[in-house]
Amino acid sequence: MSQQNPTHPRSVGRRAFLRLSAAVGGSVGLAACGGGTPAAPTAAPVAPAAPTAAPAPTTAAVVATPVPAATAVPATTSKFVEAPILADMVKNGKLPAVDQRLPKNPVVLDSIEGVGKHGGTIRRAFKGVSDRWGPTKLQNEGLTWYNPDLSIRANLAESWEVSPDAKQWIFKLREGTKWSDGSEFTTDDWKWWYENILLNKDITPALPGNWSTGTPRVAVKADFPDRYTAVFTFANPKPLFIYNVTRTGGGVDGDGPFVHAAFMKQFHASFVDKTKLEADAKAAKFDKWDLYFKDKNNWWTIGRPTIAPWSAKNALSEQLFTMERNPYFWQVDSTGNQLPYFDKVTHLLFDTPDVFNTRIIAGEVDYQARHVSVGDFTLLKEGEAKGNYTVLNWVSANHIAFQPNHTAKNPLIREFFQSRDVRLALSLAINRNEINDLAFNGTAVPRQYSPLKASPQYYEKLSNAYIDFDAAKANELLDKAGYAKKGADGIRLWKDGSGPVSFLIEGTAQAGSPDEDAVQTIVKYFADVGVKATYKAQERSLYTERYNANEVDSAFWGGDRTLLPIVAPWIFLGSMVDRPWAGAWGLFYNNEKDPNAEKPPEGHFITKIWDIQTKIDVEPDDAKRTALFNQILDIWAEELPMIGVLGELPAPVIVQKGFKGVKAGFPTDDTTEDENLLNTQTYFWEDPSKHGG
Amino acid sequence: MLQYTLRRVLLMIPTLIVISIISFAIIQLPPGDFLTSYVATLRQQGEDVDTAQLVALEEQYGLNQPIYVQYWKWISGIVLHNDWGRSFEWQKPVGDLIWERIGLTMFISVLTILVSWLIAIPTAVYVATHQYSFLDYLMSFISFIGLGTPGFLVALVFLWVMLSTFGVNIGGLFSERFIDAPWSVERVFDMMGRIWLPILILALENTAAIIRTLRANLLDELNKPYVETARAKGVKENALIWKYPVRVALNPFFSTVGWTLAALVSGETLVAVVLNLQTSGPLLLRALTSQDMYLAGSFILLLSTLTVIGTLLSDILLAWADPRIRMEG
Repeated sequence: MSQQNPTHPRSVGRRAFLRLSAAVGGSVGLAACGGGTPAAPTAAPVAPAAPTAAPAPTTAAVVATPVPAATAVPATTSKFVEAPILADMVKNGKLPAVDQRLPKNPVVLDSIEGVGKHGGTIRRAFKGVSDRWGPTKLQNEGLTWYNPDLSIRANLAESWEVSPDAKQWIFKLREGTKWSDGSEFTTDDWKWWYENILLNKDITPALPGNWSTGTPRVAVKADFPDRYTAVFTFANPKPLFIYNVTRTGGGVDGDGPFVHAAFMKQFHASFVDKTKLEADAKAAKFDKWDLYFKDKNNWWTIGRPTIAPWSAKNALSEQLFTMERNPYFWQVDSTGNQLPYFDKVTHLLFDTPDVFNTRIIAGEVDYQARHVSVGDFTLLKEGEAKGNYTVLNWVSANHIAFQPNHTAKNPLIREFFQSRDVRLALSLAINRNEINDLAFNGTAVPRQYSPLKASPQYYEKLSNAYIDFDAAKANELLDKAGYAKKGADGIRLWKDGSGPVSFLIEGTAQAGSPDEDAVQTIVKYFADVGVKATYKAQERSLYTERYNANEVDSAFWGGDRTLLPIVAPWIFLGSMVDRPWAGAWGLFYNNEKDPNAEKPPEGHFITKIWDIQTKIDVEPDDAKRTALFNQILDIWAEELPMIGVLGELPAPVIVQKGFKGVKAGFPTDDTTEDENLLNTQTYFWEDPSKHGG
Repeated sequence: MLQYTLRRVLLMIPTLIVISIISFAIIQLPPGDFLTSYVATLRQQGEDVDTAQLVALEEQYGLNQPIYVQYWKWISGIVLHNDWGRSFEWQKPVGDLIWERIGLTMFISVLTILVSWLIAIPTAVYVATHQYSFLDYLMSFISFIGLGTPGFLVALVFLWVMLSTFGVNIGGLFSERFIDAPWSVERVFDMMGRIWLPILILALENTAAIIRTLRANLLDELNKPYVETARAKGVKENALIWKYPVRVALNPFFSTVGWTLAALVSGETLVAVVLNLQTSGPLLLRALTSQDMYLAGSFILLLSTLTVIGTLLSDILLAWADPRIRMEG
């Protein structure tokens, strides 16, 4: 492990991963740390660090760097092996030798299937520039990243420290890390980013949440005492910052400090002739230079130096977008092979799922989960032999869920949904096993919207709250809630007898999808207990408009962010208003002045949730934070603010035969970059010569 | 004739202005704008976008301005500087995006049209002159199927049959290794090996329509006195048919040439989407669904201009082919 400060929260949530670990079997896990520079006495010896990295030694899913590699690597440079393509370039004098390209203390990582082989290409599919997150997540490297058990490991940062009040974060970089053009990667570039991008009002007119705290947002204060140290001081505590830096930095839409100053200066008005810059911007059809700058600051700009395993070789807007290996990539495997293993990654454009599925079945997709729909599971499974691939099931963080809007504009509906008895009744009225069989071939798990089993915040009490089908009990609860009277059609009447209990469920699930099958079945269950619901599929932008105006009665729009909810708790808070269970209250939480915002009533459970969250926001201790979060989950288990139906849905990952480094059973969520949790740079071909290299 | 043409050309100007206003307004009609969907994806990726950021973005992209200001900015750019604006979705100048795809689109469309004419016109003349023969019934049957089945469905069926029986993916115009290869003889051969199928599928509907119309018109003409007169004068049957009735029967065909020009660009969007052809149709479709307004607006303007020009051309063609058509009024 890298140098460890006893106060900082290194090991985040290592429990509850046993199940997954068991699935992984005794395979060699990721070498979790950056190795120790033998010369540096501060470096923690590998052996004592191992227990921290592998909390459950019996499972051996996560092991620390093998001792010999960690100590030997920096000592004998002959230990490093580069890809054949690069070795040729070194011979021709086009590239310095591999040990001059690597930092003194490179990150040491093995795939979950051990040491791999250099070479080959992987082929994926994407939908063009607007789908940039596919390639982005694949190539992204942050200061820190996750171990397979979701604890945090050092990455680009060699080590870090946090002050006890969680306001100050100090990161140490790895000496000798290089950009993809061979220049040194130091905090000099960060300083340039801080002064000329983050604090530049033209480029950053409003501060991003990751680099600020408070309302209104106050920018982080950044100091760089030397070329390898960065000190970030926030106005308010930011204990979860260590999670934020797993993903920011890579330069998507200009967020993050990994900016090669010398390259980006060419496009900055403070550093070049402004008239010429404006003219260039105009020529590229931009109104102003700052938009031109932001465009150039994306990682996929050709020629922009990067720290990713692969960099862009042609324009992202091309039909076939190609990335090629970064010869200066700062990671090696335990035997000293420089990562990544693959020479090339390609993304081929498609417009409709039919085209994408055809490609999969024709064996033209090597590794992908993005855009693979669980609804096509049977089709894809049948095509396995023909396309020479395997469908591995990961566990999706998404849930099939129903959001009653507690602040619906119609006062009758509002009163109805605000009744706890009603919500319990609606949950009990749903036969989850039947929906599971009907719409998902029984592959999902009946549960409330709650953290995944693989999550450090997993909470069984909430997952299993009121999920057993009991129509009699549901009827009883509805009677008790004051909706006992029924009309001639068997539908219950509002309390004032003004008409049948009826509301609209809005969502974007389109006809024919498993999600739509699920919601239509839910509508049927509600009817069985005398409640009339109608599902209406909306076009997405119309739906957006409607929830922003708090116009929806109720919604059917899944529930994700359940892998590390502590990092992304917004659905639990009700502030993520596209899952509008708290409609107007959520708008209030985000912006008190919003014309559709409403302050929640005094003493309402949502205000208690928010109070707990303000404590979590400033709590530096991991265990205490999870304990506080459990209090929120307790409230959820008691109140059922929204009604979860199914979860742990399978997330199919397409993997060609001979593709190594991926196994089934891992969780996918946006927080951990979907299918890329396991470090794409450690994936490899069993026989690279069959795959273009 | 010259005066007629000139008058028609002048009339095109106000037409195009009105069209540009209407198309820009229509694009703005659906709720939200590009930023709405952009911010939604940002949030989906875990980014915490606050209201201040949203406002700042709107200002940065000029989306907070009133619609007439946005319209003026767009249209004056096109007219005065040949600047079609920038596509939000593709992060590229609109002009580049359209021109990039237009060559291939035109190529496919022209081939499609030629193929459908080559098949349709002789067939129609044959079946009209051999009414109620076996071939007439057969061709009628086939062309009704062609008319009744949407092209994209035919494409899907083909795609699936080829995949499930031969394990070949016929989507796309190039096989994998030629997609980003520079143009070469091999690449052209590779494309020719794949392009015939989309062209046949695209031509199917058009061919069927032409056969039906031409057959009906020709049947009307064949019994007219002037045909009898010509025949009585001893003109050979083949020359007679092609010289007189076919020429007249082609009238409706000429008057729809106008739409063909626009179809050259927007093509059979759905077929192109299904077969993964990098033509302009799918680009337009995406631009409309993602409210990429400058791209969508420019496309619609381009298509409308082509339709207007095409209509003019077809009127001129018609006047030339049919001396009965008068130019005044």
